[in-house]
Amino acid sequence: MERILRIFLANGSFFTFFGLQIVCFWLIINYNSTQSEIASETWSLYGGWFRSGKDVIDNYLDLDEENEILLRENAQLRAKLPESYYDTTVDQDSIEDEARLQRFTYLATRVVNRTPYNPNNTFVLDRGEQLGVIPGQGVVGESGLLGIIDVTTSRYARAISILHLDTRISAGLKNKAFGTLRWDGQDARYMSLSDIPEYITVNPQDTVYTTGYSNVFPTGIAIGTISEIEVQPGTGNQLLRVRLINDPLRQDLAYVVQDLFKEELENLNTTE
Amino acid sequence: MRGNSLGANVGRFVLLFFLQVFVFRQVSLGWSGKEYLFIWLYPLFIAALPLRTPRPGVVALAFLAGLSVDIAYGTLGLHASAATATGYFRQFPLKFLEPKDGYKTKSTPEGRDLGQAWWVRYLAYVTVFYCVFYFSVEAFSPVFWQDILLKCLLSIPVSYLLSLILVSFLRPRL
Repeated sequence: MERILRIFLANGSFFTFFGLQIVCFWLIINYNSTQSEIASETWSLYGGWFRSGKDVIDNYLDLDEENEILLRENAQLRAKLPESYYDTTVDQDSIEDEARLQRFTYLATRVVNRTPYNPNNTFVLDRGEQLGVIPGQGVVGESGLLGIIDVTTSRYARAISILHLDTRISAGLKNKAFGTLRWDGQDARYMSLSDIPEYITVNPQDTVYTTGYSNVFPTGIAIGTISEIEVQPGTGNQLLRVRLINDPLRQDLAYVVQDLFKEELENLNTTE
Repeated sequence: MRGNSLGANVGRFVLLFFLQVFVFRQVSLGWSGKEYLFIWLYPLFIAALPLRTPRPGVVALAFLAGLSVDIAYGTLGLHASAATATGYFRQFPLKFLEPKDGYKTKSTPEGRDLGQAWWVRYLAYVTVFYCVFYFSVEAFSPVFWQDILLKCLLSIPVSYLLSLILVSFLRPRL
């Protein structure tokens, strides 16, 4: 006891220094916003490291083997869950009309992956070449448009979202005026419809439909409603701000639109 | 302002505190929204505490000095931390800068026994230690080592020179 006391007295300055430093750091972390943020950030970064070190010690106490057995069992059980299977049942729906030939068929798919929200959004569907999905086909949701197929593999397909800076969709109004629908990368709720001639009367809340001119989407699918009208000076055109009726970033179910006449129409388009 | 009496030390603290808070606080240079040059004068108070002060006392007084500067600067804990560390660190340069015949702890009227050359070396240690420690604590993460380095490189020479000039006026008796 006396020795401890002597050590304490001999190093009084160190203990004072150490104790006061603790007080200082407590003050810094509690009363300075920048430093407290850095401290919590550092803790979140290295806390994991600290905990994993603790785990190593725990495992060392003969839990390693036990864990391994449980992990394998888990993996086995997980493989048996429905999510682990690639669904091969095909839900295909089509517009049935006796008087006309079938043109569009719809293939039900699910969005299995998507990019984080950014100016160039894409998503992945769980249907691919096996079921006739090819690049250039449109993707629609329960309401509204979702995107256009971009790349395909045998089981999956990647689509560029309509919320992608490169997307151009032919869209028009009920009165047959049409233009190009694109996204400016700013607000996921709005797209802009350009190239509508200035002399066409447009009213707010008019519905914007697909024209079907590009053979990607069928004619007449509602895309959204007009929220703002802006005449572009000097071009003779007006720019319409379109409020989308769906939220393409949150749709889970999607239908791939397969145009049975696409090839034929494309031949026509490319013929000089 | 000479001597090592309680009054002299209190006076020195008041003077340095006011210079620090009311004059040199206004001085800060930087670019692109960040300040890199600061002038820290009050560590001189810690450096100039009498040699006979018990070491824990030096640490505690340094803490109080740092804390009062903190309150003026609105950075509670930062200066206190750096000052406390400087107060603890002070004993090391004092130990190896000790003259051959030891420090004369008995006060002599003019106190020329520790000349300007001695102060030049001693203050360099104290200022560098204080600045490095303070900017490290301020950045609070080694990730910002570039900022720390830049601030130290800019602030140390200016703080050091000003401290030297000031100490030649105050020339405390240790």
